[in-house]
Amino acid sequence: MSTDSTIAMREPVHRRAVNFLVEYNFIAIFLAVVAIAATLSDNFLTWVNIANLFQQATVVGVVAIGMTFVILTGNIDLSVGSLTALCGMLVAVLLAAGWDPVLAVAATALVGLACGAAMGATSAYGQVPSFIVTLAGLVSFRGLTYLLTDGVPVSGLPASFAAISSTIVPILPGFNLTSMALIFIALMVICGLVLRFTVFGEYVYATGGNPEAARLSGIPTRLMITGVFAISGLTSAIAGILLTSRLRIGQPTAAQGLELDAIAAVVLGGTSLFGGRGSLLGTFFAVMLLQVLRNVFNLLGLGSFYQMTVTGLIIVAAVLLNRFIEMRRGRA
Amino acid sequence: MADDVLVVENVSKRFPVNIMALEQASLTVRRGEVHCLLGANGAGKSTLLKMIAGALRPSGGRMLLEGQPLDLRSPAEAARAGISMIYQELDLVPQLTVEQNLFLGHAPGKAGIIDRRTRSERAREALERIGARFSPKTRVEQLSVANQQLTAIARSLTMNAKVIIMDEPSAALNETELEAVFTVIRDLVRQGVAIVYVSHRMAELRQIGDRITVLRGGRTIATYDIAETSDEALVEAVIGRERTLVERKPRGPVTGEVALRVESMRGAGGLDVNGFSVRWGEVTGLTGLNGSGRTTFLRSLFGDLPFEGRVMVEGEVFHPTHPAQAIRRGLGLVPESRKTQGLILDAPVYKNATLASLAGKFAMNHNRERERARPVLNRLSTKYADLDQAVLQLSGGNQQKVVLAKWVVNGAKILLLDEPSRGLDVGAKADLYHLVERLAAEGAAVIIASSELDELYAACDTIWVFHEGRILSRYDPSVTGREEILKATILGDQHVH
Repeated sequence: MSTDSTIAMREPVHRRAVNFLVEYNFIAIFLAVVAIAATLSDNFLTWVNIANLFQQATVVGVVAIGMTFVILTGNIDLSVGSLTALCGMLVAVLLAAGWDPVLAVAATALVGLACGAAMGATSAYGQVPSFIVTLAGLVSFRGLTYLLTDGVPVSGLPASFAAISSTIVPILPGFNLTSMALIFIALMVICGLVLRFTVFGEYVYATGGNPEAARLSGIPTRLMITGVFAISGLTSAIAGILLTSRLRIGQPTAAQGLELDAIAAVVLGGTSLFGGRGSLLGTFFAVMLLQVLRNVFNLLGLGSFYQMTVTGLIIVAAVLLNRFIEMRRGRA
Repeated sequence: MADDVLVVENVSKRFPVNIMALEQASLTVRRGEVHCLLGANGAGKSTLLKMIAGALRPSGGRMLLEGQPLDLRSPAEAARAGISMIYQELDLVPQLTVEQNLFLGHAPGKAGIIDRRTRSERAREALERIGARFSPKTRVEQLSVANQQLTAIARSLTMNAKVIIMDEPSAALNETELEAVFTVIRDLVRQGVAIVYVSHRMAELRQIGDRITVLRGGRTIATYDIAETSDEALVEAVIGRERTLVERKPRGPVTGEVALRVESMRGAGGLDVNGFSVRWGEVTGLTGLNGSGRTTFLRSLFGDLPFEGRVMVEGEVFHPTHPAQAIRRGLGLVPESRKTQGLILDAPVYKNATLASLAGKFAMNHNRERERARPVLNRLSTKYADLDQAVLQLSGGNQQKVVLAKWVVNGAKILLLDEPSRGLDVGAKADLYHLVERLAAEGAAVIIASSELDELYAACDTIWVFHEGRILSRYDPSVTGREEILKATILGDQHVH
């Protein structure tokens, strides 16, 4: 309806509580799925399984962090899977060449950042849709990954490198997390704070909410787009490093289709593909939700074919639910 | 009466949650008349029109078309019944040709195969009826806005419309183009079509309308014969007994130093401006036909479009290449379209108000920003329920105040306003100009570009007339009459030479 016909009234407290639940409905859905999972399998709510969940969610979760930044600006990054594989291979090749692990990790992270920034800049300054630029990235980075070793995996990585992902850190008595899961959680928290409590975060939302208005408010929107792609490149690099560290082998075929898992998680978490609306909290719960589903299927002994089918259905249902909620609010 | 083609009786519309957009609105449209609809923003005009056009269903009341009850479930049904709506933003498909657009959804043909020859013929007929001089094979995006408007009217004719609703057709047209549209409307009316015409511009309604229905607060106030009703009476009906018309009040002489001087500026679209200046405390108006370069001039000053030449701010050379530079130098731009350029509609009020003044900070302290926005919004007498409310939910006038607040919060001293009153009702306009006056009194230099000469005439210390990218002349409205300036605007070069 037309925007000028009504002035909304301040809502009473109970309505605000309802609104909060509606806004963060993914938390409720997550808890519901967890409850179902717990009744289906006694093994689900054990510390070991929970630690496993975090461990398995890490690679897609880290990538989804960068993806959230990108999608919040109204762009998309299809290259993250290939870039993760490229960085995973690169760090392996550098280590195999005898580089110091610290140096190899830093160099790889820098390469990921630079690749992301280059794609972002191409899209922003060349005024080409990011879909196309990163589609090119998806293809080329995978090609580069194979070229690095002619498609041969790299193994025999040093134990000190493996420690990055697999150091066991006690959290509570009986509850241990691997360092890789902790890195995932720490990144989530840091980036969540950046989005909420820095001017940079504010500019990300503004750039996605209305690029024209943001630009005319003096916000360097092109730089912002370059920036979010740099972040996405960096998170892909981190995911690649963690993946290689955990497997202790650089695998050029790794992370196929990872971009779609990450996009699915971001969208499932309530972030609008048109930009300007969403949060990392949503992404976090969506990543965990998808992981719980996978876990449930495994515990029930159902194969990956079922998993894929049901995961797709759940994404559609969740997105429709969000759409329905928005319509109720009159944003449609 | 037998001549009543459309009768709307006491319709109401309730939106969830319990918002009455319309209660007891009535409207009777006769065959062969131009029936104007007038009302402030939020009076329920859009809602009423959408119900007549089948885009919304009434919650109560009834509608009759030629005596038959109407129950429209979709715009397509309305079109079939003979009611056609031309929206402000013209729902044409720009990439398609005129004839494709004319018959979109009802192309002649069989079994999904379009009879192109018949379509061409009938398109030509429809265009002839409105006296259009462009080919039906032209792509709509290549037409001027006025010709697109005519295309939309022709589209209604291809559907045998008995009632054509036009929602603010003049918003994007200049005087000459509007006259062309009026000629077509008069012609259609003679052929027995009824037109429901919505506009805020009183002069225009007098020019084209026969009768006028005024809505206020979702109710029909009354229907008048335009010729027999004074402007004052109509304005009073629209806004109640609250405000007076925008009138020129005597303004003191401007004593401030020169704030901004354009010695020369050559830029996009043949812009070539020399010898423009504005002082602190001065309200300057820029007028001219659409496309005369007003917007280009403002956007160039704001660093949004490149230019060559020499511009001085407070005696220092100023050559911004990006809006951020202009903002740092104390400029602020209220752009032409507040919804697509001025605001992030989904974002809360306070974020919109402080967006331009975050540069250079690292941390975002939401409470601090709220406290920065609050006093300014209050000073601009902005009505909102909650600082965290999406700006989308405010009325047009209040949205515009939020855009203005963005620059006041940032301490901008040179304000560039591009068509700031577009789409605002009479009361909101008066309010806006009142604010502008106050900001100028506090020392700001204000430049307002507008095609509404009446408003500039009432509010400005100086008026510059633009024509084809150049400054044609400069007037002091306390000395020169309104008609003189209007003549210069319309006639352009011929007038001066």
